[in-house]
Amino acid sequence: MRSLLLGVLGWYALVAQGFAQAPPPGPASGGTAGNYSSSTVEGGADRIFDVNTDSVDLENGTMQWKGTTMNLGNTRTVRARFERYLAAPTDNGDIKRYVQILDQIQLLLSPQSLTQANYARNQQEAFNLLFKAAEFEFDAGNSLTIASQVQKAWRMNKEYQMLEISANQLEALRKTQESVIINRADMIEMANDERSQASGGKAKVVTKTQTGTTELGLRVKDEARTQAQILAKGTQMTALGLKAKIEFQSQMVAFLMARRYRHALVTSAFYRVVFNGGSQDVVVGAKEVKEFFPVSDFVPTLESIDMLSREAIKDVGKGMQTVDDLVKQGELFGAFERLQETFFLGEFEPVVMLYPQEKKREMMGLWKDLRELQRLGDERDLANVESYVNKVRGRARDFPGAGIMSKVNNAMNASNMSLLSAKAAALAGENAKAEAALERATKIWPQNPAVKEFANQVVSRQDTLAQKIPEFDRLLEESKWRDIYNKKLEFALALAQDKERSEKLRKVVNRVGELDANIQKAAMLASQNNPYLAWDVIVEAYKTESDDLVLAKTRSDIAPLVAAYARLIGQAERLEKDGAEAAALAAWLSAQDLNPASPACGAAVKRLARSVAESAVVGSAAPAPAPPAAEDVPVPPAR
Amino acid sequence: MSKINPLFFALGIPVVVIVVLLAIVVPRMGGGGRFADLTPLSVEAYRKDWATLQGNSYRLDCQVEQQLAFVEGRGRVLAVKPIDKDPARAVGRIPVFIPAGSADSFEVGQRFKCKLRVTRDLLVVEALERF
Repeated sequence: MRSLLLGVLGWYALVAQGFAQAPPPGPASGGTAGNYSSSTVEGGADRIFDVNTDSVDLENGTMQWKGTTMNLGNTRTVRARFERYLAAPTDNGDIKRYVQILDQIQLLLSPQSLTQANYARNQQEAFNLLFKAAEFEFDAGNSLTIASQVQKAWRMNKEYQMLEISANQLEALRKTQESVIINRADMIEMANDERSQASGGKAKVVTKTQTGTTELGLRVKDEARTQAQILAKGTQMTALGLKAKIEFQSQMVAFLMARRYRHALVTSAFYRVVFNGGSQDVVVGAKEVKEFFPVSDFVPTLESIDMLSREAIKDVGKGMQTVDDLVKQGELFGAFERLQETFFLGEFEPVVMLYPQEKKREMMGLWKDLRELQRLGDERDLANVESYVNKVRGRARDFPGAGIMSKVNNAMNASNMSLLSAKAAALAGENAKAEAALERATKIWPQNPAVKEFANQVVSRQDTLAQKIPEFDRLLEESKWRDIYNKKLEFALALAQDKERSEKLRKVVNRVGELDANIQKAAMLASQNNPYLAWDVIVEAYKTESDDLVLAKTRSDIAPLVAAYARLIGQAERLEKDGAEAAALAAWLSAQDLNPASPACGAAVKRLARSVAESAVVGSAAPAPAPPAAEDVPVPPAR
Repeated sequence: MSKINPLFFALGIPVVVIVVLLAIVVPRMGGGGRFADLTPLSVEAYRKDWATLQGNSYRLDCQVEQQLAFVEGRGRVLAVKPIDKDPARAVGRIPVFIPAGSADSFEVGQRFKCKLRVTRDLLVVEALERF
């Protein structure tokens, strides 16, 4: 479970690393595996395990216990085994009776029970109890394995004895052969002595020519053959003894590594009585056992295996007590972690196997939620993590969701910030930078809704570009400044990368903006009961923006208020246009009489007066300007 | 030695004075003066259609409001306000051109009787007198 949590946390930390530039607090291995040292329930764990070393790594299928890594199998199998344990119905049976039988076996074989008199009887009694233990479901037939091993050892022992007898017989034969050889050698020596005495006195003639050396040679050869047979028997006995010892020790270590500690203890007890004192050192699995004891010159013994087994049984017992305690306190998450660790340390311990099914079901629900949370984390579905964190919190109030949510939020923010960078870069026309930022945002949070929205905007922008450019050109050609101004944001986005059109757009926006400012100024002057000045502003703006509808509307609104003034200005402008500067000047003066503060009137008067003074041709016959229109011809004044 | 009746002097001198005064005041009161024979300028007609007044001479009683322009050797343009006995008919300012040959000085507020000629659309002052 801690792997799940830390996997999620680790991943989020890795995610946050790229953007928040924070060092990842995740696992050193870089994967999703963690060290399972939960800080939240460390207090409870301290009572059972050394949390600095004891841990379960579901990702790698290993368990750390007392500084040693125990291989639990491949990841999928380990997960499946724990899930099966949670889902399976609890084994039935009298656990107390079973444990009593196993204890009874150990007691029968213990040094305090064994005497010279009951040595064989106790062995047999313990051997028989193995078959009773095998009847229990949670024994899984392992007692039969021990019984088989013991029986094999006994049979080997008998074979050994037979070999020993045979060797003794050979030795007796060899000794007989040796005495014959000695006898024959003595006889030869005696015959030689007699011959030398006879040749020295020259009184007797040696008649015997056969010395017996041929027979002696044959006797020596027989003795040598017997010796070779004795050596062969010795070698055979040694091999047989070693084989029996190795097989037994192998089984014992296999039980230990399979975490069937009680069977390891029973096997160890049998080993002690089946084999003599010279075979008590551990040969098989010595390396594995030594790993539990980080001492350089440590010599593994049977007692080392016993100690490890008993320590494990004790840890498992305390672990399950802690699980119960945490469940009672409502700390289901901590209980779940402890149960997982305890399960992998001693899944075959009766106390683990008999854990109540309803509690296991509860743990199963939490396990599934945590698996789903991990899946969401693996898929970086950050939006749904929060809902699952809340769901898990609902089940286990001690679940450390705040840290997860904090990291999720950090990751979301990092994704959104990258997206903003992508948008900014896209608007600036830096496509490569935008692409990199978008990729970063997507990598952090693939399902970020803003990413989708951005993608839609990009697509939409492409469509807009295709439509907006011709529209802008058309409006520009038709001098529809106001229409361009009203769509300035759309055009700005669409023309962002077209510098020439963007510059034209900017000018149009400035032009209409200035016009709007004048219109507002005129409206304000009119509202302040100063319609003539308002009209001046309108007239001035009208010279360049005569097609603007807003200006035309404002003009029509103000015109009734300044009808006479407007008429005079209109007349003045018309007269000036017709070349009647003096008459135009008269009209401007009349208009100025109505609006003395008018800068337009003042300027026109000044300009025309100067022009009139300069161009006045008194008494000459200069061509007369065109007369006014017929309808404007007034009735001659009455004298 | 002839003796003139003192009564003659007592009655004759006031009568002479009155006659002299009448000779001076009556023409002024009657709006005539030097240009009494000219038609008063219709400012309204001028504004509506100066072309119909082209080439004509008119009399204008006015008050100087402002000198709008002065060009050495050419003359000056004044904005004058016509004086009308009927305040209801008062009109606004109009521009008149004083050719450079005039030796008169013009100050704001001075009143003149002018003889104007409409040259094209320009009101050219041909003669004037202060009053």
